[in-house]
Amino acid sequence: MIRELYNYRQLLKSNVRKEIRGKYKGSFLGVLWSFVNPLLTTLVYAIVFPFILKSAQNHYTTFIVIAILPWNYFTTVISQGTSTVLMNGNLLKKVYFPRSILPISINVSGLINFLISCLIIAIFLICSGIGFSFYILFLPLIVLIQFILLQGIIFITSSINVYVRDLEYIINFFIAMLFYATPVLYSMDMFPESIQNILHLNPMTTIIESYRDIFFYQQMPNLIHLGLVFLLSIVILWIGIVVFKKLEKGFAEEL
Amino acid sequence: MKRKTNNLENAIIVDNVYKKFKLVYDKPFTLKERFIFWKNTRVGYHEVLKNVNVEIKKGETVALIGVNGSGKSTLLKLMTKIIYPTNGNIITNGKLTSLLELGAGFHPDFTGRENIYFNASIFGLTAKEIDARVQEIIDFSELGEFIEAPVRTYSSGMYMRLAFSVAINVDADILLIDEILAVGDQHFQDKCFAKLEELKKSDKTIVIVSHSLGSVKKLCDRAIWLYNGEIRKDGDTKEVIDEYLKVCG
Repeated sequence: MIRELYNYRQLLKSNVRKEIRGKYKGSFLGVLWSFVNPLLTTLVYAIVFPFILKSAQNHYTTFIVIAILPWNYFTTVISQGTSTVLMNGNLLKKVYFPRSILPISINVSGLINFLISCLIIAIFLICSGIGFSFYILFLPLIVLIQFILLQGIIFITSSINVYVRDLEYIINFFIAMLFYATPVLYSMDMFPESIQNILHLNPMTTIIESYRDIFFYQQMPNLIHLGLVFLLSIVILWIGIVVFKKLEKGFAEEL
Repeated sequence: MKRKTNNLENAIIVDNVYKKFKLVYDKPFTLKERFIFWKNTRVGYHEVLKNVNVEIKKGETVALIGVNGSGKSTLLKLMTKIIYPTNGNIITNGKLTSLLELGAGFHPDFTGRENIYFNASIFGLTAKEIDARVQEIIDFSELGEFIEAPVRTYSSGMYMRLAFSVAINVDADILLIDEILAVGDQHFQDKCFAKLEELKKSDKTIVIVSHSLGSVKKLCDRAIWLYNGEIRKDGDTKEVIDEYLKVCG
């Protein structure tokens, strides 16, 4: 599988380019939208939530922007990734290429977008006076874990979605729910330990907390939690590859 | 039946292949439909290919002929690995390109040149390989300065010409073509035909599905006649076509 993907690396590249550029073709701001969009969401939350949450953090805008960008990466990849095989049905029925290219390029283009948008985080860190610490060196590890987790999930969802088309809608609802079960707008220490433990069942909780640790609190991320999520992600990726390999043979007939 | 081994002289081996399509009436696509109608879906099977055995040697130019619904395109799709056989095996040796439909995967907002890169990468070419060919592809398509315009502004003829130029210039060892010889105007058709003859001479393996028996006769040395999913006759193009015309013409 890896060798075949290597042979088709150019397709992966041009598909990623198509995802990133094609999305904004025809709009005035073009690729800038991938900056403007998260900024606008952050702005809305930063204005609204201090009213609701009385005990808002210092530097609340910075606090949420650090979480919203990786969360955006998560949701975009999952919702686009789930429908990608179905969306490219026309192509699948007419040309042979390694099918796994489709979900992989969604994830890679999401990753690139996220890495670029890390500039926003940097700007906020500088402007708020928080600055940087060497814990930032953990960033590649956290990003890698998130990438693997996402890849596993969308291998599973994109292939099942071809057979059961409700999945897209279920997933979108599920993500909207998960947003509140992930410490994006709040911090975990608002809750008693029992609730924190429940929230930690969500792997995105650990990932978001780790981003916040290295950027906002400038402390060591919880390596035990992170290690467990890493393991979980690899298991999910493995299941994803098995499921995708099994289901991809029927794609052209089901579409 | 004895299983054929992977003989390197063969470009394509179709070994004892069966293909059944499941026909589901009122297919339940959503969960609701699945729950409500879970006993009501009538399922039938349509056997498209039955016990097909073909060996195509490297360098051969083969035509698949037969009336509509005889399984020609299905066989071609199986060779491309877009679909998989219900039973049996298909082995291919060498880089394979299929032209089942022209311009699959063109992005309308991208320019002709960008689409060349995208389309050629679908066929598995690397950036360097595309760089080396891009001028040749543009020249072949005769699009001139339009190559820098978005594909959505193209006429359907220009679109087809670009798509064909990419597909024919990717340098595959095996070329599978499904009824697309009728591309563009007479001038361009002649050019495509000449290109196919050139490829044939350079020892490429070509499999063509076509109803235009005239061009098949000129181009192919071997024809396979599929009838109701089975091979009715396999051999010299002229003989096969003559008999095909006697029965179906």
